[in-house]
Amino acid sequence: MTTTEHHTSASVSLTREGESILFPSLPYHMHDRNRRAVHNDKLIAAVEVATLAKDVGRKKIFADTFGPRYDSLRTLAGQIKQHTLDHLDHYLEQFIDRAEANGVRVHFAADAREANAICVEIAQHEKCTACVKSKSMVTEETHLLPALEAVGIETLETDLGEFILQIDHDVPSHIVTPMIHKDRYDTAAAFQRELGAPYTTDPQQLTRIAREYLRDKYRKADLGISGGNFLVADSGSLVICTNEGNATFCVTAPRVHIAFVGIEKLIPSAEHLAVFLKLLARSSTAQPMTIYTDIISGPKRPADSDGPEQVHIILVDNGRTKILADEKMRETLRCIRCGACLNACPVYRKVTGHSYGAVYSGPIGALITPMFRGLRNYKDLPYASSLCGACGEACPVKIDIPRLLIELRSRAVKTGLAGRVEKLAFDAYSASLKHAWTYRLANALSGPVLRAMADHDGYISKAPPPFGGWTDERDLPAPAEQSFRGWWKQNRRNL
Amino acid sequence: MNQHTTRSQFIANVRAALGRSLPLVSADVTPPAVDDAVARLTSSGDDLVETFAARAASVGMDVRRCPPEALTKTLIQLLDELHVTKLVIAVGSVPQATEFSEAFRRRNIAVPDWRGDRAMAADFEADAGLTDVAAAIAETGSIVYRGDAGHGRGLMLVPPVHIAIVRPADIVPDLLDWTRRIDDVHHTQLPAAQTIITGPSKTADIEGVLVTGVHGPGKVVVLLVNP
Repeated sequence: MTTTEHHTSASVSLTREGESILFPSLPYHMHDRNRRAVHNDKLIAAVEVATLAKDVGRKKIFADTFGPRYDSLRTLAGQIKQHTLDHLDHYLEQFIDRAEANGVRVHFAADAREANAICVEIAQHEKCTACVKSKSMVTEETHLLPALEAVGIETLETDLGEFILQIDHDVPSHIVTPMIHKDRYDTAAAFQRELGAPYTTDPQQLTRIAREYLRDKYRKADLGISGGNFLVADSGSLVICTNEGNATFCVTAPRVHIAFVGIEKLIPSAEHLAVFLKLLARSSTAQPMTIYTDIISGPKRPADSDGPEQVHIILVDNGRTKILADEKMRETLRCIRCGACLNACPVYRKVTGHSYGAVYSGPIGALITPMFRGLRNYKDLPYASSLCGACGEACPVKIDIPRLLIELRSRAVKTGLAGRVEKLAFDAYSASLKHAWTYRLANALSGPVLRAMADHDGYISKAPPPFGGWTDERDLPAPAEQSFRGWWKQNRRNL
Repeated sequence: MNQHTTRSQFIANVRAALGRSLPLVSADVTPPAVDDAVARLTSSGDDLVETFAARAASVGMDVRRCPPEALTKTLIQLLDELHVTKLVIAVGSVPQATEFSEAFRRRNIAVPDWRGDRAMAADFEADAGLTDVAAAIAETGSIVYRGDAGHGRGLMLVPPVHIAIVRPADIVPDLLDWTRRIDDVHHTQLPAAQTIITGPSKTADIEGVLVTGVHGPGKVVVLLVNP
């Protein structure tokens, strides 16, 4: 398989359409995208198979290894993260001291704009012109690529899924498996169109095309950008986990390496790292470890032949201190971005990632997106759940996602974000439950009305406004002519 | 460089979010202990060689075994099998026996010197990289590679094949054992980079179909030297 000549530089920015998927106009309403996703059979089929298989795989691999200790291991991991968050200033200071002693340059970004600005300044100062990048949720959050392109630095995503998305002007829909919504035909068409490659739908051949194309880019790049899975405070090290080895290339081949890492990624020591390494890949893709776990503790030493001459770590806040200050929501920062909650969630499986309208989707996205970008802007997200609890059971750091979804719902109601009709309905409902006689009266009044609204099969499939929205997707059984209490009163003597 | 958030401003923001205005006393901050009873999967009492071999195979490494006296012969056969004509070797990985260099000469196998080249040109042209390992982890079937003067980082990453020589003494039982070793080393003595490798480079991004050799080697041969 030889690489053909390609004419485009494949340095592409997100089209307006791509941007509007992850950065829609606010406030964002899920309904339209949910509806479109649910009726997209091809999309649902792909997402369903992939997520279900990983969820089943996760349970099996933990049953086969830790068995009944799985729960205690998750408890331990949760405690380690919570402790680190509760003492984050201490661990940050330790990390910075040790990383700097190892020759790493540490930078501090209060928000997305500053993070991108720091990166651009380093790149320009070091006269970088070609950049290769590995997958980083934080850089998606800060929307880094347009900032680099604006100053003429060609930046290529190297994670295969992200690379395909980039050249096809598309955006990720899952934290771990970003192109879960795309297939081989989409990929073949994109490669033919953008890289001038011969048309093939064989995944092995498509991968080979990407490999050849990107190897050339690795050799020519002078800047490598990565994210970070963990920051080890005790040793001042950065840990990056991938399956493809693209991050290993990005942090080894170019002269300058810049890592974007959220402050919540800190853990105390390498021994604690072991606990998370034991949980991460097994939770994410049911494998014991990711193929590559890179532990970076500085730029190349004088005696080393290869490796970057400079290593920079940009510590990113961008709303994390706000979540840290919120005692109830602080535990959401434990997240290690494994994607297990997405794979477990029956709602995610039906509406898929783009419906969440943000960089972070699924159950964890339903918590942190409103926290990062405002509850009034993403009010629908905490409600996009049946509270089945699968996410909480899947989470390797025991974030109590269902409880926190209810907390956000409660805040939505308290700050007047719940609809007026909904509020009225719940007020009426709670009034009817205050006394036995109010309850009986409510039943007596509503019974005939509801029965009159029912179809011949006894179900109400279409309620009049303003309740119509509720019956759009549900059928309500009309109450029976006689209540159980009435029947009991009548028949108890005969029993 | 423009003015950006300083370290003290950044830390002060974090401290304020935690409801504190003063730094903590280091000695008062004790992280949760990592209990082996909860976290350990493989112990020193287990058959480490067999466990490692089985786990390495299950993550897709090609595990071969040979006694120490047959190492050179086995390596040569392996290079024949893989049609290797250019090989990059980590310093000290193999005995510099005369029969080894003689076999190379007879087969026209070039062994370029990769040292001193940050651009890793030799690695990009090689058919395989041959190295020893810093450690091997039985729990996960992983090998650990440390970059240093004699171990270029590109050797285990760039060529399409990585041949790793593992000796029983390299094998530790569990991730806990290896990470505790890191904790014992002073942070300034750590290498710039070390990588835990748990199989050949792979992805399932396209429709969940497993494909190997995405960026890193598509084939990792573990040559287990075992009497």
